[in-house]
Amino acid sequence: MNLKNVRTTLATKLVPPLDAKPLAALAAGPVDPVFAAVVIGLIGFGVIMVYSASAVQATTQNHDPQFFLKRQSAYAAAALLAMFVVSRFDYHRLYKLTYPLLLGVGTLLLLCVVGFGHSGGGAARWLAVGPIHVQPAEMAKLALVVWLAYSLAKKAERVNTFTVGFLPHLIVAGVFMFLCLKQPDFGSAVVLLLLTFTLLFVAGAKLGYILGASILGAAFGVAAIRFREYRYERYLAWLDMDAHRQDLAYQPFQSVMSFGSGGVTGLGLGRGLQTLYLPEAHTDFVAAIVGEELGFVGVATLCTVYLVLCARGVRAALRAPDDFGSYLAFGISTMFAVQSLVNLAVALAILPTKGLTLPFVSYGGSSLLVNAAAAGILLNISRQVPEDAKDGMTPEAPAVDVADLVAQGAQR
Amino acid sequence: MRNLDTQRARWIRLRMGVLCGLMGLGLGGIVSSAYRVQVDDGPNWRETAEKQRQRRLHVEPKRGTIHDRNGTTLAVSVEVPSVSADVVEMLRGIQGAPAQKAALRDAAARLAPVLLLDPNELFARLARKGRFIWIKRRTTAEEATKVRELGDPKKTSRPIRGLTVEGEGHRYYPGRELAGPVLGFVAPDGQGKDGLELALDEELRGHLEDVKGIRDRSGRLIFSEGTTDEQSLQGHNVHLSIDEGIQHVAERELDVAQRTYETKGASLVVVDPNTGEILALASTPGYNPNDYTDSEVDSRRDRAVTDRFEPGSVMKVFNVAAALAAGAVKPTELIDCERGTFQIANVTIHDTHVNDLLTPTQVLARSSNIGALKIGLRLGEPALYAAYRRFGFGEPTGLPLPGEATGVLRPKGRPWFEVETANASFGQGISVTTVQLAMAMAAIANGGKLLQPILVKKVTDGRGRTVREVTLHVRREVVPAATARMVAEMLTAVTEPGGTGVEAAVPGFRVGGKTATAQKADPATGKYSADRYTASFIGFVPAERPRIVIAVVLDEPMIGRYGGDLAGPVFRRIAEASLRYLGVSPSASAPKLKSAARDGDTADATAAALRPMMDDTPLTGPALGAVRVPDATGLAARDAVRVIMNAGLLPRIEGTGRIVRQVPAAGHPTPKGSAVRLLLEPPS
Repeated sequence: MNLKNVRTTLATKLVPPLDAKPLAALAAGPVDPVFAAVVIGLIGFGVIMVYSASAVQATTQNHDPQFFLKRQSAYAAAALLAMFVVSRFDYHRLYKLTYPLLLGVGTLLLLCVVGFGHSGGGAARWLAVGPIHVQPAEMAKLALVVWLAYSLAKKAERVNTFTVGFLPHLIVAGVFMFLCLKQPDFGSAVVLLLLTFTLLFVAGAKLGYILGASILGAAFGVAAIRFREYRYERYLAWLDMDAHRQDLAYQPFQSVMSFGSGGVTGLGLGRGLQTLYLPEAHTDFVAAIVGEELGFVGVATLCTVYLVLCARGVRAALRAPDDFGSYLAFGISTMFAVQSLVNLAVALAILPTKGLTLPFVSYGGSSLLVNAAAAGILLNISRQVPEDAKDGMTPEAPAVDVADLVAQGAQR
Repeated sequence: MRNLDTQRARWIRLRMGVLCGLMGLGLGGIVSSAYRVQVDDGPNWRETAEKQRQRRLHVEPKRGTIHDRNGTTLAVSVEVPSVSADVVEMLRGIQGAPAQKAALRDAAARLAPVLLLDPNELFARLARKGRFIWIKRRTTAEEATKVRELGDPKKTSRPIRGLTVEGEGHRYYPGRELAGPVLGFVAPDGQGKDGLELALDEELRGHLEDVKGIRDRSGRLIFSEGTTDEQSLQGHNVHLSIDEGIQHVAERELDVAQRTYETKGASLVVVDPNTGEILALASTPGYNPNDYTDSEVDSRRDRAVTDRFEPGSVMKVFNVAAALAAGAVKPTELIDCERGTFQIANVTIHDTHVNDLLTPTQVLARSSNIGALKIGLRLGEPALYAAYRRFGFGEPTGLPLPGEATGVLRPKGRPWFEVETANASFGQGISVTTVQLAMAMAAIANGGKLLQPILVKKVTDGRGRTVREVTLHVRREVVPAATARMVAEMLTAVTEPGGTGVEAAVPGFRVGGKTATAQKADPATGKYSADRYTASFIGFVPAERPRIVIAVVLDEPMIGRYGGDLAGPVFRRIAEASLRYLGVSPSASAPKLKSAARDGDTADATAAALRPMMDDTPLTGPALGAVRVPDATGLAARDAVRVIMNAGLLPRIEGTGRIVRQVPAAGHPTPKGSAVRLLLEPPS
C-alpha cells in the first residue's frame, strides 16, 4: 500500500496552518463505535438510575414520581442530539471558537458570582435563562480543555518555558478557579486545576514548574478549606464520620450505607430504599443508589465502563491527526475520568463531599449536555484518524504499543 | 502528534501513559474500596440501614376502646395532631454557624406565635439540632393547619423545612370521673398507667411488634411492611360488665356519703350474684383521668380492690353459714350470749347490748359478738379458717385490676389461738377487701357458689371479632344451697325492724344483708383506735331471688360510725336506683313474703326492745358546730332517721311504730354528730 505517501501528505497538509481544514475524506470517516456505544449506554443507564433514585423525592416534593425522569429523558434526548451534531462538526473549527468560548463562559461564571446566580445547595451555581437553568462551571471545564489544547498545540516546543508555556495557562485556569471558588464550587475548581496540570504535563511543561504549582495549589487548597468555616467543618466531619453521621457527615454516611446495603448483587433495580434518606440521591450521589440496587457487581461494571470510555478516548488521542486533536481528546478523556473518579470517591467517602456529578449518569441538564458535547468532539476526533493509524501502529511509533501500556497501567 | 519529531511524540505518549496509570490506580482504589464496603462490610451496613428504616413508630396503632356492658364508651382514643421537627432537615443547605443560628431564630420566631409557645424556649430546643424534636404535642386543628402552611412552599415564600404534623393518639374519657379508678389513664407515651389501661395494656395497645414502618429522612411514614390493614393493627376493644347507669348512681351516692359523713375514703361494689358480673365498682375520692396530672396519687387507686381492712361483723354471716353447713349449730338452737360480757383467755368480750339467749338469726340480726364467737369456737379454728378461705378470703378474686390485695386471715402466719379464733368469728384480727366481701355475700345470695368476679366481659379486635369472652365461672361450692338459702333468709332480719340494718331496707323489697362497724387498728399504738371506724353494709336484694349484691364500705367516717346508719342508706339508694334500672318491679309479692317471713320467725319478733346493736361501744363524736334538733315526732322510724341524719345527728331508735318522744326535744341546740334518742310506740 501507499502508506508513506498518505502520511507525508497529511503531515504537510496539517502542520503549518493550525486552522487549516483537514481532508474531507478524513472528516467523513466512521466514528469510534465503542466510544459512541459506551456514551449512549451510560446516558440511557443514567435515565434509569435517576428515575430510581428520584421517585420518592419527586413524589413528596413535586407530587409527580416521574418529575425528574421526564426532565432527564428530555436532557438525554437533547444530549444525544448534541453529541451527534458535534461529532459531525470538524473539531478544527474550534480554533476560531476557542476565545469566544473562553470569554463567554468566563462572563457567565462572573455573572454567577456577582449575584445573578441561583442558589442550590447553598451555592450560587446556576444561571437562570428563562425556564432553563445553566451551570457555567460545567461549561468552564470543557472551555478550559479546548483552550488549553489549542494553546498548548500552538505553542508546541515553547511549552517547556515558564513565561510562555506555563504561566499564561496557569493564570487563565486560576481566574476560572477563582470564579468557581467564589460561587462557591470547590469541586469544579479542583477539577479545573487537575485538568490544567494534566494537559501541561502531557504537553511537556517542566515537571518542576508543575510540582511547584502543585505545592502552591495544595497550600491554597488547604487555606481554602481551613479558612472557610463550612468547608472545614465538613472536612472535620468527614474525618470523624461516625460522630457526625447525624449532621455534617450525614450525606456521606448515608451514601456509604447505600453502597454497603447493596452487598454483592444489590437489592435490584428500583428496590433501593436509601433514596428515602440520602439527599441528592439522583444528582451527586447517584452512584450510591447504583451501589445499593446493583451491588458490587454493578459498581465494578460501571467502573469498567468508565475505564473503557477513557481508554477509547486516550486511544483517539494517540491516533489523532494533530497535536490539537490529541490534546483535546486526552483532555476530554481526563475530564470524564477525573469527574467520575472524584464522584465515586466522594460517594464512597474516600474524599470529602465535592458536589461533582457522575458524567452521563447524574441528573442535570448542564452536566449532561456539556459532557455529551465533549463526547461529540471526541467522536469527531476519532473519525479523523488517518489511514495509517487505523491498523493500530503508526510508522514512527515505538515498538511498544502505548495503548496496551495504558491499559495495563489502568488495570493495575 | 504526527507533526512532532519522534522523540517528542514518544515523550508525550509516555506522559499520557503515566497519567493513565495514575488514573488507573485511582480506579483500582475505588473498586477495592467498593469491594470492602459492599462485599466485606455489606451485611453490617445492610443491618444499619434496616434499623434506620424500621425505626419504631412513635405513633402507635389506635388504642382499643373501652365500653360498658351496653356499649357506652368509657374510654376512647382520638387522633390529635402533634408537631415535630427534624432540625437537620431544617438546616439543610444553610452553611455556617451564624446563618444556621439565624435560620433557627427565624423558624422559632415564626412558629412560636402560631403555637402559643415562647420563642426563646423553642429556639433553645431547636438549637440542640436533633433529628426528632417535639415542637408541640396535642395541638388544635387550626394550629396544625397554620404549621402546615408554614412548611408549604406554595403558601409561604420562605417555607420552614423539616416540619412534620402527624396524628398522635390521645385518650379521652367521655364520662370524666366515671369509673376513673377502674379505667386508669394513659401516659403521653401511649402506655397504660393505672387501672384497666395498665392491666389490659397489651391488648388495648395492639400489635406493636408487627407495626414496622418505613420512614424517610423527615420521619414521614412511607409505607408499612406486611400489614397495611389498619384495623388489624388497632388495639383490641374491651367490653366491661360495668353498667354505666348503675356506676353513675353508685358514684354519686358514694360521693354524697363521703361528703356527708366526711369519710376518708369509700368503696363500693355492685355485683350480679348469679353471674359474678360486676355492675359497678366505685371508689372515692375518685379522679378524672382526662386530667390525671391534676389528681392526687391517692385518689387513683381503686379502693374496692387495693385496700384491705378489718371487716368486723359482716364475717358473722360466713361464720354462721359454715357452722350451719357443718352442723355445728342448729338453726333453731338458742345460744347463751352471757348477758353481754364473756371472758376468754384474759380477754373480756362485750356485746353492745345485753342478750340472754339468741337464735343464730338473732345473733346476726342483733350482731352479737358473743353469740358469733361461741358459734365460731364450736366450729373450731381449722374449720373456721377453712370456711373463710372457701368464701374467698385471703386470696385474690382475680379481677383484672392492678394491685389487688389478698387480705390476711392469719396475720402471724400460724393457726389462731383461741382468743384469735373468737375475734375472727366476728371479723376482728383479719383483713379483707370490699370485692372479696361482695363475692362472698354473692355466694350466700346465689345458693352457695363462689363465683369468679367478671369485670371484662368480652374483648374484640378491630374488626369486631371476639378475641376472648369471659363467662360464668364457679370457683367452688362454698356451702350447700340449702344452707345458703337459710342464711340468706336469716339476713333479711337484719333490715327488718329490730335489726341493725333497718336503714338499708328498700321499700317494696325484702333485703338481706349485714352491717358492720369495725374499729380500726391504730398503726401508732397497735391497739384499736377509739374514734376511727370502718362502717359497712353488704347486702342483696330482692332477698328471695337476689338480683344484685351491693357492698358499701365507708372508711373512717367523721360524723357517725355505724354501718347500719351510714352505709345502710347508701345501700338503699343504690339498690332502689339499680333495681329500677334493671327493671325489677317492687310489686313482686314483697309484702306477702315479708309477712310470711315474720310468721315463720316469731323469735325475731319486733317486740323486743331494739336499738341498733353495734359491736363496739359508741363514743360521742366530735362536736362540729351546733345544730337544732329537728322535730321527728309522729314520723315512722325510717323517716325519722332520715330527718335526724340530714341534720347531722345520730338517731337512736328505741321501740317500734311511730316516734312518740325524742331526746333532746325538737329545737334544742345540740352539737353536730351527737345522738338523738327516738322512742317509738306501735300505733294503738
